[in-house]
Amino acid sequence: MNPAPAALPPVVHPAPPQTATLRRLFLTLFLRGRSSRGLRLKTAPNSVGRKLALALLFYTLFGMVSLSFIGKQVFPLAVSLHSLTFVFLGMFISSSAGEVLFNKEEADILMHRPVSARDLLWSKIRVLLQISFWLAGALNLVGLFVGIYTTDGGILFPLIHIVSTILEALFCTGCIVLAYQLCLRWFGRERLDGLMTTAQVFVAVGAVLSGQILPRLMLRFSAEGLLTFGPKTWWIALFPPGWFAGLDNAVAAQGGPGSWLLAGIGLIATALVLWLAFGKLAENYNTGLQLMGETVSRPRPTGKRRWLEILASLPPLKWFSPVSRAGFILTAAYMFRDRDVKLRVFPGIAPMFVMPFVFMFQNSGHNGQSPNDPFSAGFGAAFSAGFLACIPLIVLDLVQYSQHWQASDIFRAAPMAGPAQLCHGARRAVLYFIAIPAFLILGTIVWFIHHNIAEVALFLPGMILIPIVALVPGALGRGVPLCLPNEEAKSAGRGLKMMGVMILSVLLSLVAIWAYQSGWFWWFLLAEIALAVPVYLALRAKTSRQRWRSID
Amino acid sequence: MISLKQLTKRFGSQIAVDSLSLEIPAGQIVGFLGPNGAGKSTTLKMLTGMIEPTGGSATICGFDLLTQAVEVKRNVGFVPESGAVFESLTGLEYLEMIAALYGIPQDAARIRIRQFLTFFDLSFETLTDKLLGAYSKGMRRKVVITAALLHNPSVVFFDEPLDGLDANAAVGFKALIQTLAREGKTIVYSSHILDVVERVCDRVIIIDKGKLLLDGKPDELVAAHNSGTLEHLFTQLTGGAELERRAEDFAKTFRS
Repeated sequence: MNPAPAALPPVVHPAPPQTATLRRLFLTLFLRGRSSRGLRLKTAPNSVGRKLALALLFYTLFGMVSLSFIGKQVFPLAVSLHSLTFVFLGMFISSSAGEVLFNKEEADILMHRPVSARDLLWSKIRVLLQISFWLAGALNLVGLFVGIYTTDGGILFPLIHIVSTILEALFCTGCIVLAYQLCLRWFGRERLDGLMTTAQVFVAVGAVLSGQILPRLMLRFSAEGLLTFGPKTWWIALFPPGWFAGLDNAVAAQGGPGSWLLAGIGLIATALVLWLAFGKLAENYNTGLQLMGETVSRPRPTGKRRWLEILASLPPLKWFSPVSRAGFILTAAYMFRDRDVKLRVFPGIAPMFVMPFVFMFQNSGHNGQSPNDPFSAGFGAAFSAGFLACIPLIVLDLVQYSQHWQASDIFRAAPMAGPAQLCHGARRAVLYFIAIPAFLILGTIVWFIHHNIAEVALFLPGMILIPIVALVPGALGRGVPLCLPNEEAKSAGRGLKMMGVMILSVLLSLVAIWAYQSGWFWWFLLAEIALAVPVYLALRAKTSRQRWRSID
Repeated sequence: MISLKQLTKRFGSQIAVDSLSLEIPAGQIVGFLGPNGAGKSTTLKMLTGMIEPTGGSATICGFDLLTQAVEVKRNVGFVPESGAVFESLTGLEYLEMIAALYGIPQDAARIRIRQFLTFFDLSFETLTDKLLGAYSKGMRRKVVITAALLHNPSVVFFDEPLDGLDANAAVGFKALIQTLAREGKTIVYSSHILDVVERVCDRVIIIDKGKLLLDGKPDELVAAHNSGTLEHLFTQLTGGAELERRAEDFAKTFRS
């Protein structure tokens, strides 16, 4: 029909298959990020490689917790490894899947090309799986060798654990994709965005809960010797990490019918999820992609004010500077309306909400400790408070990233010497909507469970930390909301931050408990306040002195 | 070449494109005009297989839009208004990736890319030394146009293609699409720069609120409505006649 371009040379290298091209594309985009801001071509391969190596190293180091299982049984080791893998993979996939599977900009580039939706979906899933395997491999590397030195394990353990970890990665990825597909199928386009976000947040929280609760339940029952699956530990079958640990136990430790039953559940569940997500419901993916190109917003009833507008007109927001108020509204609006930001923030802080509860309940009278033991009971409260105090640090770090980061250039065009007021607005939004409610909820729960004012008082050292912690990103020049492009590869850095947060929280709780037991608690609080006030003022001053950084 | 029959797109209760019927033969350059929100981009997205019509049907190069979407896409090139590219790829990586999606072998793709570079007055090093995110808007637009034409499509849809191009590149581009049309390609050109449309297009289609308002040769339409220029005709039809007076009134609010 059309004349071919003149004098094309003979073909030497045939075109690679479409799926291979797409896989290479999505892997490159995943590793480099989708925007080039801050990425230089000459250093890109090195910096990306370094970033990935650092992430894998971090995961390997984290996996060293399995060393404590040397000389113990295979099943608890396998439960611990699979739980850890489940948490990290669940978090990683749920926070990346939204960006990878449904990207609006990508629709303008790829949707009019002769590529089938199924090829697109498969290419993306294979990249997600590839990265998941790398991360899971790093996380389980030490555990593979530890399994050889367990009492009932042996050389078979590494082999079967690799298989079970691959199955677990497939199950995690399948669950996330399935959540998307089901939302699309059951609820339709209009509610898709919000529902997909909610579904992913729940999957992430579920992964964290499942990963954290199972090993602790195992530990709780360890005194009774219930380290395998049986009638008294039927509940293990409710947690996916238990299924895959069952497979390890069945093959490596010649486990009984219980282990085979768990393995069977795992295999059937994985097969079912994969069939539904990538087979039966995959045709829905095309619809999902097309919806990305449709921009519809529900008409807003006339005369009805949004809750954020009402809130902004009330004290104390009313008293803030207009720039701070604008920063507050912008951050809050994106935290609650924008799919991309929600998917980063809420799964990102899910472990921070879950961990305190896990510690609180773990120390609430089990594990051979008395419920009235002030150390065991108090540590949970003090640790939880220290942990929750760090929420603003994590959230403010996460709300810096947005698909709409280019719009933030307007901040620099506005007559502001630096980002201080915007940072304050973002900080207040995070405090008012996430950190303070989290404290109130946890405090109320602690009160209802223990009816012990001393435990609630142990919240105070953590609470005093909140204003200081919330100022840190701004003081370091990193608290401007929505100003950076998404870079999925940075998630390892967040993991390191989480580790730091945990260490700080443990230190603070230990000191608080020591002060409490020595009768110095109130003096300790006074000292903390005396130290906190100048630090707070210094951080505020440093934030005010921040100037706009050059855009590279 | 392009045939639309009662093509309709609804977003909930809102009708974006309302029973649009058209026939566009091969070798024609069609200006596709309308005010903001008229349904132009939605129509182009439907015709390029990016979104599914709610009703009606369309064929492009004889392929049905609904049942043979991949075949339609193989024969169509599209320059979207957004000019989106993968910013973390170099220009060459991006264009080779696009070529591979159309099954163009790498060697042939490189030769083709060099032809476009020569046309757009760009050096090969520009494509290899910088990530697309570091390109100027005009350079990025040239890459997007190259990506749309690389596979030698029979039908090309342009949505604001001149956005970001400098005067020389724009002149070259206009000459290019006229030559492409002479060689039998069908060009659908959507733009708000009406004097360019008037000069370049053989035919103009004006839509508003998803409905077809006018369809004909630019000079004949202008003469029939006694408008003087296409711009005047457009503002008459789409309710923009009062705009100049409103602009003057609004400008008065800036007096200090």
